[in-house]
Amino acid sequence: MASNGKFATLMRGYGRLTLFLIPIGVAINFVGGQIALLLKLPIYLDSIGTILVGAICGGLPGALVGLLSNAINSITSPPTFAFAVLNVAFGLLAGYFGRLGVFRSWWKTLLSSLGFAFIGGFFGALITIWVFGGLAVGGGAIVVGALTALGLDVNTANFVAQIPMDVLDKVPTVMIVYFIIKGISKRLLVKLPLGWVYLGQPNPNKPAPVADSAKA
Amino acid sequence: MSTRPPLTTAGDYRRPVTLGNPILDLNPITMLLSITFVAVVAVAVDGWVAPVVVAAVFVLLAFLAGKGRTYLVLILKLWLVVGLLLFVLRALLIKGETVWIPLGPIAVTEEGVLDGLRFSTVVMAICGAVTLFFTLVPMRRFTLALERLGVSPRASYVVLASFQAITDLGTTARAVMDAQKARGIETEGNLLVRAKAFFPVLAPVFLSAMSATEERAIALDARAFNAHGPRTSLVLLPPTAAGERVVVVLCALLAAAAITGGVLGWF
Repeated sequence: MASNGKFATLMRGYGRLTLFLIPIGVAINFVGGQIALLLKLPIYLDSIGTILVGAICGGLPGALVGLLSNAINSITSPPTFAFAVLNVAFGLLAGYFGRLGVFRSWWKTLLSSLGFAFIGGFFGALITIWVFGGLAVGGGAIVVGALTALGLDVNTANFVAQIPMDVLDKVPTVMIVYFIIKGISKRLLVKLPLGWVYLGQPNPNKPAPVADSAKA
Repeated sequence: MSTRPPLTTAGDYRRPVTLGNPILDLNPITMLLSITFVAVVAVAVDGWVAPVVVAAVFVLLAFLAGKGRTYLVLILKLWLVVGLLLFVLRALLIKGETVWIPLGPIAVTEEGVLDGLRFSTVVMAICGAVTLFFTLVPMRRFTLALERLGVSPRASYVVLASFQAITDLGTTARAVMDAQKARGIETEGNLLVRAKAFFPVLAPVFLSAMSATEERAIALDARAFNAHGPRTSLVLLPPTAAGERVVVVLCALLAAAAITGGVLGWF
């Protein structure tokens, strides 16, 4: 039963489309980041796919998108992999928020960006401190370096620099996710694991939630 | 550059595929283990000399495999962009007793330079290992080797389809961007103007990619993607030779020696 391993069992609870949406989510992460660079925007916008797949398919597929995106990124820039856990957490949180119906209203979506920014900024800073001793790479490193030179200690400098930067990044990210979900056709939504949330229908798996049946 | 020799007769498909170089033809798992063990040496042995030697070994291996130029370009870029920044930040900001060059509130200290050298060379040796592996092993070969070890073909599909989707979506995004420019959407100008262009460029790309998954699911289902039972593949990997096992064991011994030495303080 080589073709029917753990991975298949894990994904079964999510229906067949989810498996095909994971690569699309990874590509959305990359292309979002590329276009942000191309338009010379000062933000990353590289977790749209993770949050989108998390919001429409559930936490686990979202987390897989995040893990895979960082793994692929680390082929050319290995330090990226240290931050994979953030992208995984975005996916899980998006799945949880999705189930609660957060992405159905624009103001709740807007508020949810604080949750993502907290993970990205606070835990991002923690990883920078633990793994790279507070001096990692990327645009933030220069800001951290400048703040340290001004007399802040390295740890404080990381939090001061990263949390506001992440809020700036996550507000447009979640709003794009909100508008994309609004644009998904009903015939696709109805086949997605969390599609019922956006179609305003009751949870079809109420007696056994999707996450639990996937674990079984 | 060594490419796959043309397959002419049906019989060729039953022979293991060769990339025309003994290093490239190693089993991907052999390659993964050996490179990992060598990278462990860089981390286990103190100081900056060991990581530099390990990084040099990786470059040598890349040249022996005939991928030297590709690898060198990739790794030099990493050294310049990541390694140099890691070193400079540490050299400038870590405080120490022996000040070499005072620069106002910060200073270049001996401790900072040594710490920076050690840290940046270790990170670069690890980066060298990762990039070397993916330079030498095409993703298809790697996922095929993993499938032989029992990883689900669905997992292979997700990984390989991700690479394909990145390329495809990137191309479509650029095409849509040009199309939207032609319709008068400004993609240059001040920050607000550029930010406003982001959505009309990406929304059509993302939405069409998502609705295409439905057709893809049906198409793959028709090709027995969801069938149970063992799979065959068009490409065969060469069987793992005894020599490969010896190489892996030697690399493992080297790593073990480095770790023991690091703990006992031989270096």
